[in-house]
Amino acid sequence: MSVTAIEIVDVEKRFLRTYALRSVSLDIGSGITGFLGPNGAGKTTLLRILATVLAPDAGRLRLFGLDPARTGDRLAIRRRLGYMPQEPGFHRHFTAFEFVDYVAILKEMTDRRVRHDEVRRVLELVGLEDVMGRKLKALSGGMRRRVALAQALLGEPELVVLDEPTAGLDPEQRLRFREIVSVLAERRTVVLSTHQTEDVAALCERVVVLNEGEIPFVGTPSELAALARGAVWLADERGPAAQLSWRTGEGRHRNIGSAPELAELVEPTLEDGYLMLLGTRPREEVGR
Amino acid sequence: MSWHVAPDLLRAYARGEADHAAASSLEAHVIHCPGCRQEVAAHCDRQGLERVWGEIRNAVEAPPSGPIETLLVRLGLADHRARLLAATPSLGASWLVSVALSLGFAAFAAQQEERGLMAFLVLAALLPLAGVAAAYGPGIDPSYEIGVAAPMSSFRLILVRASTVLASTAALAALAALTLPRVGWMAAAWIVPSLALTVLSLALATFMPPILASGFVALIWGSIVIVTTRVTDNGLVAFGPGAQIGLLGLAAASVLVLAFRRDSFDLGSHV
Repeated sequence: MSVTAIEIVDVEKRFLRTYALRSVSLDIGSGITGFLGPNGAGKTTLLRILATVLAPDAGRLRLFGLDPARTGDRLAIRRRLGYMPQEPGFHRHFTAFEFVDYVAILKEMTDRRVRHDEVRRVLELVGLEDVMGRKLKALSGGMRRRVALAQALLGEPELVVLDEPTAGLDPEQRLRFREIVSVLAERRTVVLSTHQTEDVAALCERVVVLNEGEIPFVGTPSELAALARGAVWLADERGPAAQLSWRTGEGRHRNIGSAPELAELVEPTLEDGYLMLLGTRPREEVGR
Repeated sequence: MSWHVAPDLLRAYARGEADHAAASSLEAHVIHCPGCRQEVAAHCDRQGLERVWGEIRNAVEAPPSGPIETLLVRLGLADHRARLLAATPSLGASWLVSVALSLGFAAFAAQQEERGLMAFLVLAALLPLAGVAAAYGPGIDPSYEIGVAAPMSSFRLILVRASTVLASTAALAALAALTLPRVGWMAAAWIVPSLALTVLSLALATFMPPILASGFVALIWGSIVIVTTRVTDNGLVAFGPGAQIGLLGLAAASVLVLAFRRDSFDLGSHV
């Protein structure tokens, strides 16, 4: 059983009158935990709280048993943390090397040689060794995303918080990302949010679904998929009882809902379970 | 190949004492002779080699720094501090050139009439404030959120950046002030206001985003200058001895607030 690295009890966060998180409780151990949810569900707010850049309005939060509201504890947490925000900003006049080096300095690495070795290591890890001398403004969006991932890996942090790490990556880069993160998570706690259900299915030991600031589901990817068992079927036309239905590339309709008798049931995917759980039309961010 | 490295030469090479011709001959030989290469490797100082290799990689792979960073390092600043400052938006060449041009025009105007002198003093007092506003904070520093989550104290970072921006802008203002006509001590009357307004804006930045705090301070102080000018019919009363003493008191109070609330920068509460 994994050790609890993150303990969240009745955490709330409001922006003016709008609740971003409502009484959220969750324990997260080592390995990879993925957050799924529609836009505005509260994923980014929760990850920012875990990254100590945002304080909750109410509730109890412990990271490695430490309280981020206390100055000394917060510093100790940040020394064990790597964070990739949803929209990482860049000093565009910096090269990839200079930017990661700058973050390494913020992470208290002052010895030039040790720091440069570490910067090279993380840039090589994300496959950017050939472009480390290029200005950030000259890099593609996917490459800049990998630079942001590289800075989060500096110093081999015990807790890695990644907000939408695969957004903007091409399929090859996403596979590379999965390889990096899966190796990383062998000894650490990795928390990530994504709109890509394939990433969650391929990577995460545990999935947390957030919706309107609440957590309607916590479990394994196969448990989430199982929510739609017996409720996914293929037919030549849209099923009248289907909550959701779309025409597949093979010309048949994939239906989710109360399956009619003698329906051609198929094994549900994680995405089917997610859609079944939220019980709404397919959202654009849950692409196939 | 019948020739191999003689033990004496091998030891001399490992100690770095072989002459240039012998060392070159040995290096050419070991490329093709695995046995001698192994012998040489066994005698060489591995840590020393790794250190040299690291330095070579740093020289070849670490890309050259920008002009501001290079200048700061040449002035004696540690390379990591220079990089922290190089990431400050208001320490870029374009910003400093804009400040220099603004002060140059204001100094020229000050030579024409008394209102020009007031314009120069107001500008010289407000430019450091604008520079500090553009040095740190959400919406200003592109990697602000990454910085807040890092262990380096945000308070320390903002102080380092603010003091460097204040010093660089003040140096340009001082140069511009040297060109003013004979106005006595009034040529330096911007120093206390610039310092006080900057510290006040930092104190307010513990309650609101730095850019808002600076804008608020500039608005209030600008209003005070305009009102006192209209009421007293003396454009320079806001820079007189009484105002200077009042601003020093305000600066002292701001320092206390800043010291008391410095943790708020690390909470990222303005994100």
